[in-house]
This record gives sequence, structure tokens and C-alpha cells, in this order.
Amino acid sequence: MEKIVSWLGERAKDIASFFLGLMFLTFIAQIVFRYVLNLPLDWSQELCLTLWLWTVFWGTAFVMEDQDHVRFDIFYASRSEKGRRILTFIYSACILVAFVVSLPATYSYVEFYKIKNSMTLGIRLDIVFSVYLIFAVAMIWQYALRCWRTATGQPFEWQSFYATPMASAEQLERTEAKS
Amino acid sequence: MSTALTFCLIAMVFLATIGAPISLAMIVSAVVYLAVKGQDLGLAAEQIIQGLYDSFVLLAIPLFIVAANFMNAGTISDRLTHFCLALVGRLKGGLGHVNVVTSIIFAGMSGSAVADAVGLGKVSIDMMVKDNRYTPGYAAAITAATAVIGPIIPPSIPMVLYALVSDTSIGYLFLGGILPGFFMAFAMMAFNSYYAHKHNVPLEEPVPLREFPAVTVRAFPALMMPVILLGGIYSGVTTPTEAAAVAAAYAFIVSAFFYKALSLPDIFRVMRESTRSSASVGLVIGAALVFNYIVASENIPAQVSLALKGLDISPMAFIICLNILFLVLGCLLDASTIILVIIPIFIPTLKAMNIDLIWFGVIAVVNCMIGLITPPYGILLFVINATTGIPLRVIINAIWPWVGVLVACLACMIAFPEIILYVPKLFGYVPGSN
Repeated sequence: MEKIVSWLGERAKDIASFFLGLMFLTFIAQIVFRYVLNLPLDWSQELCLTLWLWTVFWGTAFVMEDQDHVRFDIFYASRSEKGRRILTFIYSACILVAFVVSLPATYSYVEFYKIKNSMTLGIRLDIVFSVYLIFAVAMIWQYALRCWRTATGQPFEWQSFYATPMASAEQLERTEAKS
Repeated sequence: MSTALTFCLIAMVFLATIGAPISLAMIVSAVVYLAVKGQDLGLAAEQIIQGLYDSFVLLAIPLFIVAANFMNAGTISDRLTHFCLALVGRLKGGLGHVNVVTSIIFAGMSGSAVADAVGLGKVSIDMMVKDNRYTPGYAAAITAATAVIGPIIPPSIPMVLYALVSDTSIGYLFLGGILPGFFMAFAMMAFNSYYAHKHNVPLEEPVPLREFPAVTVRAFPALMMPVILLGGIYSGVTTPTEAAAVAAAYAFIVSAFFYKALSLPDIFRVMRESTRSSASVGLVIGAALVFNYIVASENIPAQVSLALKGLDISPMAFIICLNILFLVLGCLLDASTIILVIIPIFIPTLKAMNIDLIWFGVIAVVNCMIGLITPPYGILLFVINATTGIPLRVIINAIWPWVGVLVACLACMIAFPEIILYVPKLFGYVPGSN
């Protein structure tokens, strides 16, 4: 089971890289067609924007790890493990509640766009925007899991980030103070 | 200020302080705002989606990230360091100068200070602390300070964000950053010389002149990158976004075929890394745009403009106050949050006071980039701590003189607008035309 999940996770990451890679190639194609062949493409811009949207939300859902997030962790990092566990529980619960509560309205916003197609590619916009729902559900799942882990005493953070380097930094400082 | 906004800000500050990711904290507090106001909760999603889906200029950001990652994956930082060592290594305080000059060249290839610190940090710092020439604190501090030049000399991700919120030309903003970038580099080299003389740092073994052509040839394709990028934008051949794509393609070709430093697994790794960074930056931008929407719907920019009109404050005094505010906020907030959320509040006032928005944009970006090295929240300090293991406290103790040097540079740019506006004017920019 675990093997299947991790295999799926890896493929989800590949898909995100594929979105970004395809966006990059579309851009190059756009430039070549416009400046070299003098045949401007009308669909490339929209494809790039769609792929950018999907890269951001699919990437946040499946590729980004906890330590990739921009955060202000001076206060957090200075707490004990127990303190960090409590703080993690509180903010995870807040994120979980906010995403769960806004999910129905978010769904109806996205669903509303089934009547509209995109400008040049003619893709239904609810499909284009549906990646936000994937992202919202992924956040609900990730933060529910984190609430559960913090509440049941399981490891809950990218341990090495707050535990190991801090310790080794202190050691370094001590040796430096000695010399 | 409405009750909804008060609750929203409390939620934001609370969540950010206890360590929640900033982007998610912003989304949560936007939901709080909408709930208290009794508005449709789907508006948060709408603003994020539309914000990202409608802004073509933002596409430059993932492409700049891809370009920088391809550059870093190759052996470019080594080659550049050798080139700069041959160029300025023989001077007093040579390795410090090498650090500054590599940052200038790197700044012309990447648009992010963090990418510069990651790409150059370890190589430069290892070289500087070898044989106890410099203290680890000094080496870390100069590396953090020189990385600040990265987004000042074009290309620049923060300038793209500023262009988005202020509706100014990315091209002129990029041009406006060129002289200030060199000016800051010069000031840092002067300070480094002073330090080297004071602490009598030993001279380096000079690289013999006859080796110079070979070193230059090795570094040449990397040195051409800024030329291609800026040449494309200013000859009007490509838009800045397209130039970013060209830069990424060039970086890929140079690393893969000229330097043969990229294997297929490397390419996959680089794409995955870039996806992670792009998603992280994209989410912060999207979330900040929701906040932007709240600030705008509360009519805060207009209120600020009206309140300041009542105070009858002079434009110069206003600029100085804003800069002090940004410096203070820079100690606490992330640079993109300041640019996307705080700056738009003041744009109407700046316009009413006839303050040039290109000049102000470059100043604001320089200011926010100084915020990257000011403790307690200085992302460059964290990056260098993470890549080299030099303790944060040691870096922070050594960073203050550099903050001083950079703030002095900022003050000069405020006092002498020509430092920023000279180059844009050469390319036909008329100040005050926004």
C-alpha cells in the first residue's frame, strides 16, 4: 500500500514538472513562431497561463514540502518540541477549518464556469479552474493529517529542520567560542 | 477600519506568528474577512485564481527560476568565481572583492537574491574562510549582502511584482536598477577594502596574467547571458517575459552542451526543484493578491491618500517616512508580501504627489531587498545558515555594518534620483510620465 502511494506521489511530482516544462517549451515555440517564422501563435499565451495556474496549485498540492513554504518561524523555532507541537496543532486546525468551511462556496464558484469556455483554446473554464479544488482538498487532507499526528504524539514536522541543524549550529558555536 | 478587517488582520498576525505558512495564513484570514462580512466565501478562490490566470507578466517568474536553476546545476558558479579571482583577486581584500564581482555577474543572470545566495554562497564562503583569512561571520555577511544586488540588477522578480501592482513598465524598472546595482557593489567593495586594511588580511597569490584568456574563455558563455537577456528586452525584440524564456533556454543549452554539466537525471531534478520554487512563489503571490483585494475593497488606499493630504506633508518627507516604514516591515515580513500588499496602499498617494513611480519602484525594491538581510526575519541569513552551517547568531552579529552600507546607498538614491533615472532616460523615459 505504502509503495503504491509513494509511486503515485512520485508520478504526481512528474506531472507538475511536466506542466512547467511544457510551459517553457510553449514559450520557446511562441518566440520561434513569432520572430523566426513570422507566424504569431494565438493560443500559446493562454496555454502558458493555464499551465502556470496548474503548476502553482498542483505543485503546492503534490510537490511542495513543508519546508518549502515561506514562513515567519522565529517564535516557532524558539519553542520546545512540546510547544511546537501545540502551535502546529493550532495553526493546522485553523487552516483545516477555513478550507473545509469555504469548500462548498469554492466548488460552486468553479462549477459556475462550466458555461464559459476559454478565449482561444475553447477549454471549459470549470476544468481550467478545477485545479484549485484539487489544491483545496489536498490542503484539507494534509492539515487534517497533521492535526491527527500532533494530537496523537506522532512525528509532525520535517524533523531535521528544527531539530538537527539547530543542535549542530549550537555545537559549532560552542567550538568557535572555545577557539 | 471595519470589524471584518480587524478580525482578518488579527487572524493573519496570529497565524503567521505561530509558524503557519504565510500564504496559507493569508488565505485563512481572507476567509475570516469574508465570513465576518457575510460575503460569499468563494471570493477568496476567485481572487487567487483570477489573479494568477490574468497576469501574463507573472509568467516571467517561473522562467527566471528555471534559468537560475539550470545555471546553478551546471558548473557556472565555479567558472565565474575563477574568472573573478583572476580579475580582482590580486587586490587587498581580494576574496571579498571576488564575492562582490561574482554577485554582479550573477545578478545579470538571475532575478532572485535567494538564487544568488544558493548558487554562490557555499563556493565563496568556503574559499574565504580557508586558512582563516576571514572569519566565518564576515564571509557569511558579505555573501548575504552581495546577494542583495541580485534583484536590483536586471532581471528581477521583485520588480516584476512591483510592475504588476503599480502598472509601470518592467523595461524601465529594469533599466532603473542597473546603476544602483553597480553603485551598491562599489560601496560594498569600498567597505571590504577598509576591512581588509584594518584587519590586515593577507594578499592572495595573483592568478598569472597569461592564464587570464583561458579563464575568460571558460566563463565566456555564462558572461554572455546578461547580454542576451538585456539585449533582447531593450532592442525591443522580445518582451521581458519572452526574454526570461530565452534566458532559461540559453542557460539550458550552455550547461548541457557547452559545459556538459547536465545529465538527463539532472534535468529532471532541476525541473522538479523549479516546480517547487515556482509553486511556493506562485502561492504567496496568489494569496497576497487576495489580501490586495481586501485592502482595495476596504478603500484603504484612497483613505490613506486623503489622510496624508490633510497632513500637508512634503513629497520628500513622505518618501523618507515610507522608507523607514518599509525598513521596519522588512525586518518582519517577506519582501513579496510588502511589495504586493503594502506598496499598493500608497500608490494613489504617490501619484497624487507626482512622485515618479519608476524611481520609487527601484527605491522600494532596494529597500525590500535590504529587508532580506535584516534580522530577525531575513531570508538570506537563513539560506546561508542552512547551506554553510555557520550559526545564525554569528551571521547576525556581522551583518550590521553591511546593513549600514546598503542603507547609506539607499539614502543616496533618494537624495540623487539621477542614480536611478539616468539610464531609463537614455532609453527615452520621461520622468513623471506615469
